[in-house]
Amino acid sequence: MMSHVAEGSTGVAVRRSLARWNVALHRGGPAIRYGFSVVCVAVALGAALALQYYSFRDVELPLFDLAIVVITWYVGIGPSVLAVVLSTACFNYFFAEPIYSFEVSREDLPYFFLFTASAAIIAWFVAVRRRIENDLRDTRDNLQVEVEQRKRREDEILKLNNELAKRARELETSNNELESFAYSVSHDLRAPLRHVVGYSELLQRQASTSLDEKSRRFMQTILESSKRMGNLIDDLLAFSRIGRTETKNTLVSLDPLVKEVVAEIEQDTGRREIVWKIHPLPVCYGDRSMLRLVILNLLSNAVKFTRMRAQAEIEIGCVDGEHEVEVFVRDNGAGFDMQYVDKLFGVFQRLHLPEEFEGTGIGLATVRRIIHRHGGEVRAEGGIDQGATLYFSLPKAQDAAERTANTL
Amino acid sequence: MSELARILLVEDDPRDVELTLTALGEYNLANEVVIARDGEKALDYLYYRGEFSTRSNDNPAVMLLDLKLPKIDGLQVLQQIKADERLKLIPVVVLTSSREEKDMVRSYKLGVNAYVVKPVDFHEFVNAIKELGVFWAVINEPPPGSVKKAP
Repeated sequence: MMSHVAEGSTGVAVRRSLARWNVALHRGGPAIRYGFSVVCVAVALGAALALQYYSFRDVELPLFDLAIVVITWYVGIGPSVLAVVLSTACFNYFFAEPIYSFEVSREDLPYFFLFTASAAIIAWFVAVRRRIENDLRDTRDNLQVEVEQRKRREDEILKLNNELAKRARELETSNNELESFAYSVSHDLRAPLRHVVGYSELLQRQASTSLDEKSRRFMQTILESSKRMGNLIDDLLAFSRIGRTETKNTLVSLDPLVKEVVAEIEQDTGRREIVWKIHPLPVCYGDRSMLRLVILNLLSNAVKFTRMRAQAEIEIGCVDGEHEVEVFVRDNGAGFDMQYVDKLFGVFQRLHLPEEFEGTGIGLATVRRIIHRHGGEVRAEGGIDQGATLYFSLPKAQDAAERTANTL
Repeated sequence: MSELARILLVEDDPRDVELTLTALGEYNLANEVVIARDGEKALDYLYYRGEFSTRSNDNPAVMLLDLKLPKIDGLQVLQQIKADERLKLIPVVVLTSSREEKDMVRSYKLGVNAYVVKPVDFHEFVNAIKELGVFWAVINEPPPGSVKKAP
């Protein structure tokens, strides 16, 4: 670039037009290339004859050599062979004794031979140089294209990076907003609820003697609904907390975890007959308290929906996959209609009436959210009155550990 | 009333104040309460400023502190109390609607003496307040310089 500037604009223009000419000749058809060869030899011959006329002797051979060099350089090896043949013929006819005949005297034969050989060697050298130069030029052009592409790609990456950073900032903002929203819900929504409950309670106490049966029932409904709303708020907060708290991943052995949860549930099941079938379970990689919540939710669901069975059967087992394990919880309870299976894991989605089974409809949504955060999937199978099987998959301990190590 | 205040209740919501006083009333502790409706008032009380400039010279036996308050919030009040040599001995009980771990951790780091989440259920609420009042104002022996129990 610098040298171009130093040469000035005319230098650049000449060089460009030469290059264009060069390319045009190279790409031209055989007629142009061989024609160029004939013209060059003719020019060399003309010049040699003119110089001979002015008594300059023995310049014809270098002139023919020069013509051959030019021809090889610009139009390639085929025309240069023609040029060698033509030059030899011209030299023989115009300059070698006897002049104006193609006869070759015995003593001139070595000279012819030498000329042809030297011309061929020159042509060969030039051709090789030409090829090397072409290779170099191609390589340079390729490099240039690659550099340009790389630059474009770099620009693109930079642009994408900027966009990503912007998106991350937006996400952080909305995350913060969400957090303060959850905080407000936690604090501000509970206060008025506490007042509703508190004052209803006070009113009931104050006026219990003057209230008739119907009013007392109204009062009771207010209290129960408020309590239910309190539970909903608590569940919703717990649900939103899953997304906000950081997971502390370790190796978690599911066997003791399940036993622990079963023991906890059995404290509340009283005299119900429940047959637990617990198969050996694997070691997973995840947040222990969150996985405990998953198992607690699934098992208490199973206990809840088998309430009407004389003997409830709850089975916990796993299916070993290549990269993940799938744990299932199967019960012989109320089941559900497979038609609505996609609603099963939604927030506040319930497939049963509140009189049949209590609940806020957030348990399975919580399960799904936790499992998704662990990189797993949830699914369910069941039929009305035929029990339900809920599955969740988790990456295998080894896989998960590797994945975490890679992302760090 | 401010003469014999063993309990300093910092609470902005008048209904919560009434419910709390009702609960404390069941143990005849309602008369021992002085109420500050925001963080600034609470600090005014502790530093004998403004309307409290003429109050008696003792610290409350316990301070029940809400976290979400106008002007100066509960955590700021807590921080200031625990940073002050003369006030850091006052037992402070955070009494709040927030079950957020963030709030709990910050409160404990600032040296709170207890953290109580106001239960939504009225009976549980009354019980919690009663037990708090009885423990801190009657059973617990407050640090020297606090209001003495009525004989």
